[in-house]
Formats: sequence, structure tokens, C-alpha cells
Amino acid sequence: MMSRLIAALAVTLIVALLPSAAMAHKLREQGVAVSIADSPLTVTPGRDWNRLDGNVGKHTETWTLDGGQLNDLTFFAGIEPGKPLVRERSKKREPLPKFGAGTLLVELPELFEATYRTAKQIADFRVTDVQPTRFLGQDGVMFTYEYVDQDQLTRKGEAHAAIVAGRLYMIGFDAPRLHYFERNIGDFHRIVQSARMS
Amino acid sequence: MIARMRLAVGVLALAAGVSAQAEPPLPPPYAGAYQPQGVDEQGFWQKMDEEERRLAQSDMVIRDPALVGYVRNILCATVGEDRCGAVRPYILRVPIFNANMAPNGTMQVFTGLLLRVHSEAELGAVLGHEFGHFEARHTLERFRAARSSTDILAWAGVLGSLAPSYDVVRAYRNLEITLISSLYSFNRDHEREADRLGIAYLNNSNLRPQAAAQVWERLIEEYQADALSKGLKKPRLDRVPFYATHPPQVERATTLALLARPEAATRDDGAARYRAALAPWLPQLLDDQIKLNDFGASEYIIQSLAESGWTAPLWHARGELYRLRGAPRDLVQAAQFYGEAIALDPAHPEAHRGLGLALLKTGQAAAGQKALLRYLELKPDAADAKLIGMMIPKEVPAP
Repeated sequence: MMSRLIAALAVTLIVALLPSAAMAHKLREQGVAVSIADSPLTVTPGRDWNRLDGNVGKHTETWTLDGGQLNDLTFFAGIEPGKPLVRERSKKREPLPKFGAGTLLVELPELFEATYRTAKQIADFRVTDVQPTRFLGQDGVMFTYEYVDQDQLTRKGEAHAAIVAGRLYMIGFDAPRLHYFERNIGDFHRIVQSARMS
Repeated sequence: MIARMRLAVGVLALAAGVSAQAEPPLPPPYAGAYQPQGVDEQGFWQKMDEEERRLAQSDMVIRDPALVGYVRNILCATVGEDRCGAVRPYILRVPIFNANMAPNGTMQVFTGLLLRVHSEAELGAVLGHEFGHFEARHTLERFRAARSSTDILAWAGVLGSLAPSYDVVRAYRNLEITLISSLYSFNRDHEREADRLGIAYLNNSNLRPQAAAQVWERLIEEYQADALSKGLKKPRLDRVPFYATHPPQVERATTLALLARPEAATRDDGAARYRAALAPWLPQLLDDQIKLNDFGASEYIIQSLAESGWTAPLWHARGELYRLRGAPRDLVQAAQFYGEAIALDPAHPEAHRGLGLALLKTGQAAAGQKALLRYLELKPDAADAKLIGMMIPKEVPAP
């Protein structure tokens, strides 16, 4: 136990003392179209956002206003068949569910749910609504969900997804149910509406 | 299987050495409302009271009076009415095998435990073990040992807050989880003592004490099944929260088998009552397990629950498990499992949904759409009704 503690402490120390220049978050300015994770997906934010440095997966980007725990806007820009939505901590020991060539639109909420439950090791996750929608000029799916994270805070979320040329494109927004979700859901919708394939 | 053999060898070896092992005694009659003594214990209780207030508000707590009452009754049947008055059980919706008890009487039971035990006696064995820690006040000793690590936590918090990245916050939170669980991870001697107490409670109850060994035996098999399906040589039991510091499971299963009172083997273990009480929650607990993407363990759990007879929820869960993995052969099997569920319960809406999706993906469009139509008839207000509706052409006749 003790040696694991010391190891954990050492890791925290090393990360804490890294030069902060390596952690470059980027401002995403209002009205300026940007491409997401070097993919054809482009959005034009309706207000300033911060793009967090570091990502949860190869084709992802995370934006926030007040920090990732208060509003988390994650883009999944072109997930290939056979790949998980986010990076696997251990391919062998903790595999994540994979997006597949045969995955149906109606199965995307299930894929998202299973990814969250597996990656976060939580049980309390509910998909509250699933609706057909148009996204990126295609038939897509919009779904809302609610979950209790390991910090025991209940969060609400909404995601819009479509499959374009065999790849999955999805934008999701998570925020605490109390206050933060309602406050910024409009900003999220503006980003979804501005999403284009260039 | 290998576990069984090793277990059998272990039993023989132990039987030779410890054949004279006396049945563990019960602690003296319970003294009732115990009050904390000394500054360490009082401070610790205060901290735990605060923790309990937070827990009681948590959205993770399942607030079903019937289920909580049932778990409480099993605890009382195990440790006796006089003892169980000191305990306030909380059921947490966490899909892992665990339970713990704080020194002030807060007991946390995880739903992953409820899914994995098969009878009142088995649940009683685990709850009695945790109660044994409580009665022997092991946590206090751990707390004294852990105070230095709490200082580490304070420092890590300060350093973590200096760093700008969210990942650091996450790493810090992980550290915190480790430390809090370190208050609950007892050393092996404590575990052995709690095991002996747990079996003593069961011996003196009306439940079958042999069930205690079954719990550990099945758990070993589950981890082996999981490791096998992931292509690992052997399971990493030291990474599993409940096990990290527990005695080797084989040793534990053998000791418990030996300490169980032999003439009590014919007692009722309450398996039928347990199934009935858990039935309303079983579909949800299975769903929570399946969506963890742990194919081997989930398949093992479903199979072992099915030993007492396949039911529609079990077949449906198995179908979901295979459809989620989604290889072409899985989809064929999933369709078959959904079919079995529908044969047992023709009005199971989700089984029709799963069947429809599995058939669609294996190229059987007409049959798939027919099943989806049946799903919508059975559950017109389903969350995904509109999207499913778009997958069915209008001219498909009703089944």
C-alpha cells in the first residue's frame, strides 16, 4: 500500500512541477471557423471557448468554459471502424467498446453509454431521450443522458452524431445538472448548428 | 476447474494440519450502543459521521425500502438481532463486488455484490465478515496507521492545485480514492479474524455456513473466466479493490470450508427467497454489469445465475452482451438468445428490440423490422421510439 502511495505521490509531484509552457490551452474565438483535430469537421463558435490541451483520444478535442468538470464539450471527429471513442488505458485489461462498420445510428447512444460506464467505472448512467436529427447534412441521432460521476455529482449531457463516409462524427456536451448544464446548453447548440464538413 | 482442484488439494493439506482447528467462538454478548473512546476514536467517528451525511445525500444510493430492508434482514439473521441494531446499511449503485463498514455503523453494500451472490447465506457471509471488522474495531487500528498517509494526501492536494491541467485534478482524485480505500483495506490478520467472526455468526444463525466458501470459490472462477477471455495468463487479484490485501482466495475458501459447522450443511441457504427479492432489480444490475464491457466476467455471471434456471431477463442480458461485442458470429448468437427470452416472456419489449437490431445487422431486414415493430407496439413511449420507427418502412404488416 505504502509503496503505491509513494509512487502516486511521485507522479503527482512530477506532473505538478512540469514547466507550464508545455500545457498550452488555446483560445477558440467567437466567429472564427476552426477545424477539429485536423479533420474535415469545422465549427464556428458563437462565443469564446477554451480548447484544453491534451485529448482523450486520437480524433478528439475537448473545449470548456470554466474547466472540464463544469462544462465539457468533446468532439469526436472521424472515429474509424474498429476503434474506441476514447483512448484505452489498457487495450488488453480494460478494453473499451468499439465503433464498428455495422454500427447503426440507434446503437450510437448505447456505444456512448458503454464507453462512459467502462471508462469511468460508473453504473448510474441513463439515456433519457433519443431523437432522429440532421447533423453535418446527414441523417443523424441526437440523444440526451444523465449520469452520476465518481465525484458523486450528477451531470446532464447531450450529444449529436452522424456517420459520414464510414466514420463517426459526434459532438457531446456534459455539465453538472445544477446550473451549469442549463446555462451553456444554448452555446452548445450554436456549435452543433455551425458544424460543417469542409 | 483448476481452482477447484487447487482448492481440493488445499483442503486436504489444511485438513491434515488443522484438523483440530476449533470452531471459532463468538465474541462476548453484544454491549449495545458503544461510544467512541479516546481522542483518536472520537475524531475518527466524527469524520465518519460527516462522511455518512454526505453518503445519505448521494445520488448513487438506491433508495428502495424493500431492497434495503431485505439486506438489513439478512444481516440481522446472520449476526443476530441484538447486534444488527448498530448498523445502518446503504446500497450503492456501483457494479463491483464490494461492501464495507465504517466504525460508526455505516455499512455500504455495492450492487455488484448483490448481483454476484446467489443466496441469503452467501450475502450473510460477506456482510457478517464486514460486521466482524466493525465488531473487532479494526478500522481504528488502520486509522492510526494511516494518519501519516493522510498527511501525504494534504500535500498532494496543495501541489495538485498548483498545476493547471484537468488531468492532474483527476490524478489527485484517484489518489484520494486510493487513500480512502486504504482506510478500509485491512491487513491479512485482520481479514483472517473477520473471516473467523463472520463464520461464527453464520454457524450460530439459521443460515448455511458452507455458503461462505462458495462466495470466494465462485469469485476466483469469475476472475479466471475474465482473464481467459482477455487472453491473460492469470487474473490480477491484487488490482481488485476488495482483494488487494485479502488473504489468498484459495486459502480463504479452504479455511472457511473447514470452519463451517458440518452438521449445519443441511440448513436452508435461502436461495429461492433471495432470487425473489432481487428479481425487480436483476435486469438493471445485469445491465450495469454488461455495459462495463467485461465480456468474460459478464458471461460467467450470467451462466452461474442460470444454474438455477434460465429466465427471460437472463437470456435478454446474454443477448445484449453478445450484441454489444458485435462480431458477426456474436450477432447470430445474440438473435438466438433474444429468441429464447421471447419464448419465455413474449411481452419483453427490449428482447424484441435487440432481436430486431441483431437481425437487421445480419442481413435479415424483413424479420428484423417485424421484431422492431413488435417492440414499438409493446413500448410505444420508449426513448428511442422515433428513431426505431424510422427504420421500419410503413408497409410492413403487423406481426
